[in-house]
Amino acid sequence: MADYEKLRPEITPLHEPFWDSVKRHQVELQRCDSCGAFRFIPTELCRCGSAASTWTPIAGTGEVYTYTVVHRAPTPAYQAEAPYVIAHVTVDEGPRMISVVVGCDPTDVHIGMPVTLVYEDVAPDLTLYKFTPAG
Amino acid sequence: MTKQGDLSERVQADVYWEVVKEALDDAGLSLSDVDGLIGSAPEGLGIRASLPGGAFTDFTGNPLRFHATTNIGASAQSAGMGLAAMAIAHGLASVVVIPTVAAGQAPGYAGADRNDAVARMAQLGSPYEYLWGTTRVADYAVVARRHMHEYGTTEEQLAEIAVAQRYGATLNPLSVNGRRGEITIEDVMTSRPIAEPLKLLDCCLVNQGAGCVVMTRASDVRAQGKHVPVVMLGWGEGHGYLDPCKAPSLAGFEGGRVAADAAFGMAGVTRDDIDVAGISDHFTINVLVELEDAGFCAKGEGGAFVENQATRIGGRLPVNTDGGFLSNSHAGSCGLFTTIELVRQLRHDAGPRQVEGAQLGYAHGVGGVSQVQYGAVYGRA
Repeated sequence: MADYEKLRPEITPLHEPFWDSVKRHQVELQRCDSCGAFRFIPTELCRCGSAASTWTPIAGTGEVYTYTVVHRAPTPAYQAEAPYVIAHVTVDEGPRMISVVVGCDPTDVHIGMPVTLVYEDVAPDLTLYKFTPAG
Repeated sequence: MTKQGDLSERVQADVYWEVVKEALDDAGLSLSDVDGLIGSAPEGLGIRASLPGGAFTDFTGNPLRFHATTNIGASAQSAGMGLAAMAIAHGLASVVVIPTVAAGQAPGYAGADRNDAVARMAQLGSPYEYLWGTTRVADYAVVARRHMHEYGTTEEQLAEIAVAQRYGATLNPLSVNGRRGEITIEDVMTSRPIAEPLKLLDCCLVNQGAGCVVMTRASDVRAQGKHVPVVMLGWGEGHGYLDPCKAPSLAGFEGGRVAADAAFGMAGVTRDDIDVAGISDHFTINVLVELEDAGFCAKGEGGAFVENQATRIGGRLPVNTDGGFLSNSHAGSCGLFTTIELVRQLRHDAGPRQVEGAQLGYAHGVGGVSQVQYGAVYGRA
């Protein structure tokens, strides 16, 4: 596996369980112990006010809420893959998650498109979650 | 304000005093009158940067009574206008200067070359955004895409905004893009894609420049007899969601409505009363969405609102008549230039750009990806 030259996530203790779940290829999100709502990105409190939550696996399916095709990338490592699709995906559990959409032509992506999570081990210590068209 | 563009050969502190003194002279005041400052001191040695009030006093010998800094990007000085008004209203200061100065930097933006600037600004978001190769353009492109999906907004409608503002810039000798001449919708549509649906000519400039506003009591300015005072009639702020995943919608920003409602409520005027507007325009989609959120048209009707050059000088609601961030300047806390242009318009001092008989203006400033928003209503006294 080649050196990973793109930007890496900053992983603080609050965010560790999420990235650990990605590494296991099974995304888990915080689910509020009080009101049951899933939330993303990780936060200290639910909007209901409760601090208690349980990291809970999600199905990994959702649909594209919005997207863009990036032609002008932030760094050379990203530019090498341009044009690429960045999508905001509403997962079945409720939250929206941002990632790239892979496995299809950028022109095929549209709002409402069903997608599923896939995983890519990009470095020995880093796995990423991405979306791909469902089915 | 200075001519906007490349000020890399200038010393920042020299440009700072140039614009501060120019603004004070324009107000019929001098440095010794200043007792309040919003924002930074001129760049210098040691801890000058972190103690702007003291640094400013070093130069004037007149101890400041009030200083505030709002480190919120483009809208910092939009926020500062409100803070200055509050300080003056409460007797904490009588003459407040509000400068923004981007000069003496390597050519590019904020001291970085263009590539570094794009990379650095991409990382203003959280890792859950920048990991994927987002840019500031991409952050707003997803807003544009969602708006198009929900309301049928078209790329041509977005292009109308860039075309209208470029026209204003051609009448503004201090602007960066005026010398490039007018553009057409076709020019915008065929400019290269940056983050679809946004193209090069949907995007703001990357440049240096400086400007300064002086705020004092209207009665003091009137006593000078130098200009018709421009009065802040209302002001408000509204805050949105830092994380785009937490915002209920990406087709609009509640903070904009909150800020505008507060400003119009305080001013006691309606949107229909506004003759000229300055709407933060990092990208064309900003103008369209902010016009909706600020209540100039119903949600979703921004596309139709800007059609047929309605935001051009002479149109139904002239917007960013100096060219805006797209074609005038996107330097420093560029929201200040929005205010400066409204002051010119309301003084009837805008030359060939003048909006005939302008009595009331509205400024809308945003910071981040529209996470913080400021509205202000100004009137010709």
